[in-house]
Amino acid sequence: MDASQLLKGVLDVAVLAVVREADGYGYDVVRRLRTAGLEDVGDASVYGTLRRLYQAGALTSYVVPSDEGPHRKYYAINDRGRSVLEDSGKTWRTFVDAVDGLLSGAAA
Amino acid sequence: MSSPTAPGVTQEARDYLADVERELADLPAEESAALLEDLEQHLAALAEEGDDCPVVIRLGSPAAYAEELRAAAGLPARGVARPPVRRDELRRTVAELRAHPFAREVSRLWAELRPAWWVLRGYLVIAVPCALAGQWDFPVPAPLGSDELGLLLVPAAIAGSVVLGRRQLTPVTARLLTGAGAFLALVAFVLAADGTSYPSYDPGYAYPAVYDQAVGEQPLVSRYGPVTDVLPYAADGTPLEDVLLYDQDGRPLQVGFQEWWADGCARVLRQPLAADGVPVPHAFPQTYALDPVFGDPALCDATVARPEVSVPTFPQPVPTAATGTGPAGVAGD
Repeated sequence: MDASQLLKGVLDVAVLAVVREADGYGYDVVRRLRTAGLEDVGDASVYGTLRRLYQAGALTSYVVPSDEGPHRKYYAINDRGRSVLEDSGKTWRTFVDAVDGLLSGAAA
Repeated sequence: MSSPTAPGVTQEARDYLADVERELADLPAEESAALLEDLEQHLAALAEEGDDCPVVIRLGSPAAYAEELRAAAGLPARGVARPPVRRDELRRTVAELRAHPFAREVSRLWAELRPAWWVLRGYLVIAVPCALAGQWDFPVPAPLGSDELGLLLVPAAIAGSVVLGRRQLTPVTARLLTGAGAFLALVAFVLAADGTSYPSYDPGYAYPAVYDQAVGEQPLVSRYGPVTDVLPYAADGTPLEDVLLYDQDGRPLQVGFQEWWADGCARVLRQPLAADGVPVPHAFPQTYALDPVFGDPALCDATVARPEVSVPTFPQPVPTAATGTGPAGVAGD
């Protein structure tokens, strides 16, 4: 199964988790996701997700001036984002456990 | 909507940004502006990494990027017809070609030479119209016939061109400028190749007339200079007089008039006359006589001796009976 198909469903959780760890600008979030093992994550998907979460009120943003290069828009998680992440995390674990059970049952 | 472009962003990145902007054109301005701002920062961050990988390879085609962005952002997919996929493929091919080491080297060299082009461009902006109007005066063109005006306008145009070159332009303006520059260079090239368009190279007299005149006075030239006489010898070394010489096409051989003599005396040419009284110019050697009008004959050598030459010695022909046509044959046995 193509990992990129799975990614679409869980990108919200992954992005929120990365930003909860530390504030980050778009490319920073992309790199941290990739470092964490989500190598197939697309740049546009991350940027789109960040934008959507921001629009939904799960993230706040602020601009950091840069001495060299353009200013950077950082995203930070807020209370709403944390509760979304918590809910999504529960859903994800339930889902993973269910699929794990199915897979181990199939293997047995 | 056109967002201000950050410095340090390549033309390729600006093109990419413009293409994505076109893909997002149907979105509310606020929405697309936010997405494009992110992309712009992203492109700048990629550029800072110093990675030469083309943007199209790294991020995919602008259409695909925009589509992924819309999907992830929860925005509706673009309903209207998108540019054909072929264009994206072409773009990718171009990007792959650009990624070739040789192409990179060329583009690097081109980037280094850009300031030189800015200077040349400024100069040509003034020089080309002047050359077309016939008011060319190398190296400074003279608009309206005034060198001073040219001296003022050329540095101003060069300065303007450099300022323009340094500025970050919108893709459309940049393309217009590139097109105009290419046209200017082409016209300049054609003018330069067609040297007749440069009246300044006219030295003040007509070349062809001078050339004809020279040929008329010195019709025969050897590697040592103009030939003014031909001295014939027989095979046995006897100097020959009044030999008629013709060239390879049967035309009478013509030589130049000898103007300067070692004794400083003027001489006039005395060509033998044919039966009808017409001088024969191709009888050699040429005969010169002292010009009594010009110079004192007493101080001049009356005769001009032939120069010393070493005539080669040919083997003597051995008369045999087999020749048949020799005097021996006539005398009989």
